[in-house]
Amino acid sequence: MRLYEYQAKSLFKEYGLSVPKSILVHDLEGVRGAFASLAPPVAVKSQVLAGGRGKAGGIALVDDPSKAEHEAARIFALPIGGEKPASLLLEEGYPHEREMYLSVTLDRGERSYVAIAAAAGGVEVESMKGKVIRKVPVGGIDAGFAAEMASELKLPPGESSQFVKILLSLERLAREKECELTEINPLAVGKDGTLMPLDAKVIVDDNALFRHPEFAKLHPEDEFEGEASRQGFAFVRLDGDIAVVGNGAGLVLSTLDLVGDAGGEPACFLDLGGGAQQDRVEAAIRLVNRLPGASRILVNIYGGITRSTDVAAGIRAVISGGGLKPLYARVSGAEEEEARQMLAGTAVKMYKTAPEAVAAVVKGA
Amino acid sequence: MMLPRGGDPVIVQNMTGRYGRLHTKLMLDYGTNVAAGAAPGKGGESVEGVPVYDTVAEAVAKTKARASVCFVPAEFTLAAGVEALDAGIELLVIITEHVPIRDELKLVQLAQAKGATIIGPNCPGIIVPSEKVKLGIMPAPSFSPGKVALYSRSGTLTYEIAGELTASGHGQSVAVGIGGDPINGSTPIQWMDFVQGMEETDAVVVVGEIGGDAEERLARHIEKSGYKKPIVGYIAGRHAPKEKKMGHAGAIIYGDYGTADSKIRALTAAGVKVAKTPMDVPRLVREALG
Repeated sequence: MRLYEYQAKSLFKEYGLSVPKSILVHDLEGVRGAFASLAPPVAVKSQVLAGGRGKAGGIALVDDPSKAEHEAARIFALPIGGEKPASLLLEEGYPHEREMYLSVTLDRGERSYVAIAAAAGGVEVESMKGKVIRKVPVGGIDAGFAAEMASELKLPPGESSQFVKILLSLERLAREKECELTEINPLAVGKDGTLMPLDAKVIVDDNALFRHPEFAKLHPEDEFEGEASRQGFAFVRLDGDIAVVGNGAGLVLSTLDLVGDAGGEPACFLDLGGGAQQDRVEAAIRLVNRLPGASRILVNIYGGITRSTDVAAGIRAVISGGGLKPLYARVSGAEEEEARQMLAGTAVKMYKTAPEAVAAVVKGA
Repeated sequence: MMLPRGGDPVIVQNMTGRYGRLHTKLMLDYGTNVAAGAAPGKGGESVEGVPVYDTVAEAVAKTKARASVCFVPAEFTLAAGVEALDAGIELLVIITEHVPIRDELKLVQLAQAKGATIIGPNCPGIIVPSEKVKLGIMPAPSFSPGKVALYSRSGTLTYEIAGELTASGHGQSVAVGIGGDPINGSTPIQWMDFVQGMEETDAVVVVGEIGGDAEERLARHIEKSGYKKPIVGYIAGRHAPKEKKMGHAGAIIYGDYGTADSKIRALTAAGVKVAKTPMDVPRLVREALG
């Protein structure tokens, strides 16, 4: 789960990291008051989860209240990565001479956490020059570890001692809150040599949320995503008109590819999970059947543990409730013939292979 | 690395749970020698005639098992894994989904220290059709004995592709689901090197998906090590959106990191024939085998 900048910064403060003074506003009415209590210049920052906010025009630096209102109105209306901000962060600007980079993140290939730092930051960590990467032990790091990184970065003594404190705090946050990523980009170096995190990016390990109930209510949930997660489905909403349902993440992913290759556009990704029974199939199809924008449904089940007859029974239960959108199904595996017979005479179109079902649903035939 | 052999005694952890029961039966039906179960507080019970003990240590002492299949819920998987490794289990198959990353890292380190192999978490397990042995949840009819090694980050895709291979006469020497999480107990490179030494294997099929850089690393390894056996690949998620977890915890693209295109490019450059669809894998295997 990725946190919004303002949420990440409040975690930073909890862990003793200084951040510029800021106020969160939820509507235009709040902008003038917030501006008045901050020292200009003030950065107006879109609170969206997508990266590349600056480039997309989601951040503006203003020095008077009417400009602040003007920019806030523009940014509230600006979707970034398909998401319009529900709030803006108004934050005191921090005049600085240099920008550094610092993160503690999971390196999947190395199967280890790593600390990454660069004395001269940049937008993309991949292309940063002179960056220093060190593996972080599962049990955490000490001041010696952080000091060695500071010396590899050739930081002057005044910056080095601040860097050590910041890295220790960031690593403790990453470890205690079980984050996949904690990142400060940029870590600004002020005119007086004070290091100040200007942005904060935190991604918490979804699988560890059961140990961190404090994160449970941080995000407003999309109605469909909320219901899918209560049902235990893996669900992602997409922009197209073909709802895609299957069993197994990889299978559904490859079904999206088949649909895309055939010129279709998926409306969602829904993975029923293994061993799906009649009631779960029924719940999944009811869910995607209500999805606005979805005009037809593609079901791709590779029966192994999942019995084809359970899938057919689930589909029949939805049909009997009425209002089922056109449904195209490929159900293979155990009891395939019986499943086919159970759906014979209904409006459901059955296919023997995934490419056949995909071709038909894309054509809408 | 170690392959299960026919007749080897195997333990099932949390045998008395819903999935533990179901798959104990299905593994026995296939031919796996499920010799004991472990479930705290359930010692003395039995499932399908197989005795259940309170601890893995007791089950190991009674059966001399070196392999375990773990169905313990995610909150307790770390403790169950530590228990198994401490009891001397050398091949630990973790089926459980949603295990926290830090728990996985701790298990990987413990396994490395003990010289044990972990498969998973969040995986269907391992099957060796010629030995009539499976440690996991894969549906038996999709698989047949043969000379193609198959490993995959996805369960159902493994079944689908194994089924396609079986239908076209290409049986499998071994099939492994390495898991859909960001951290895998054993990596594609480890399996690749392992099957290189397997006489029964003529070709390798690698099934990947978006997220991380396992396939890019594998491609570099193939080039650097001068890999000898023909390899066919398939990568799911060419049409996946960015910044969204696509079912598996590990299947997520950040920026340009973890895209299907990057993986397909890297594997292709390393000489791997990459199939566009799962259905296309058998044809490429046939061509690769000449």
